[in-house]
Amino acid sequence: MVRHSAVLLVLLSSGCASVTPPQPQVAATQPVAPQPAATKSADTPVAVATPEPVASQPVASQPVASQPAATPVRTSAPQPARAAVKPPPVKPVPQPVLKGAAPIAPAVAASRVAAAAPPLDLDALKARLRATKAIGVFTKISLKNKVDDLMKQFTEHYQGKKPPLAELRLSYDLLMMKVLSLLQDTDQTLASEVVSSREAIWALLADEKKFFALQG
Amino acid sequence: MNRRIVVVTQLLFALALFAAPSFAADDEALKKDLTAVIALQGLPCGEVVNVIVQAESDFAVTCKDANKYRVYLNDAGRVIVDKQK
Repeated sequence: MVRHSAVLLVLLSSGCASVTPPQPQVAATQPVAPQPAATKSADTPVAVATPEPVASQPVASQPVASQPAATPVRTSAPQPARAAVKPPPVKPVPQPVLKGAAPIAPAVAASRVAAAAPPLDLDALKARLRATKAIGVFTKISLKNKVDDLMKQFTEHYQGKKPPLAELRLSYDLLMMKVLSLLQDTDQTLASEVVSSREAIWALLADEKKFFALQG
Repeated sequence: MNRRIVVVTQLLFALALFAAPSFAADDEALKKDLTAVIALQGLPCGEVVNVIVQAESDFAVTCKDANKYRVYLNDAGRVIVDKQK
């Protein structure tokens, strides 16, 4: 019994010991964020309420330069001094960063992926859409129906019938948004691939020769 | 002998524990799928709360907002959502 309690005590004390070291890392990553926060705070006057330090993790990974973060931590070498320095930069920083940057971060990430996107590989994209588990079977069939309808409308358009290209673009954009809304929560990589190939697919559809080549 | 019975009972209990959530997960996935299908058709639903399987690829669906639909795959391979009274 005494051994068990001793082991428990050792485990507890080692657990407490392991809790303290990560704090400097958090403190090191969190102050990195002020740069985007400072720029974006003018755009988004929201902020305030509910501090959630967890959400600042993806934000902290984006900005690279961390010189201002490194200086206040390193100047105070001894541990008690660190503890004294930590609270002021940590607490005020996350609150404005969270509310302002959290909704913008995926869009920034998507645009970065779009910028670095390889040329369109339609077959691979189709295969990935078929394979993804983010969309249920019936939803996939329903989406396929909608794609077929849109393709039919394009055919009619090129045969000189009614839907103008602007209207088709609207339908295309709506369909893309539906696909993205289904993917963005559970398959973000595929969602970003769809976003990056969005204009390339439209270029195929909007060009009559390319469209019929695609059909054939 | 008694020990074997205990072991078998524990195994069955463990199986039951793991099996129940898997069924529930399938059910939730189907509900989510049907919710998306109804939303894609632009019909009001909110969220599917109950699904009755009438046949293969044929479902009677009840939504959170009390709307009822029949969602099925027709012969042409189209997903049809019919509003029920």
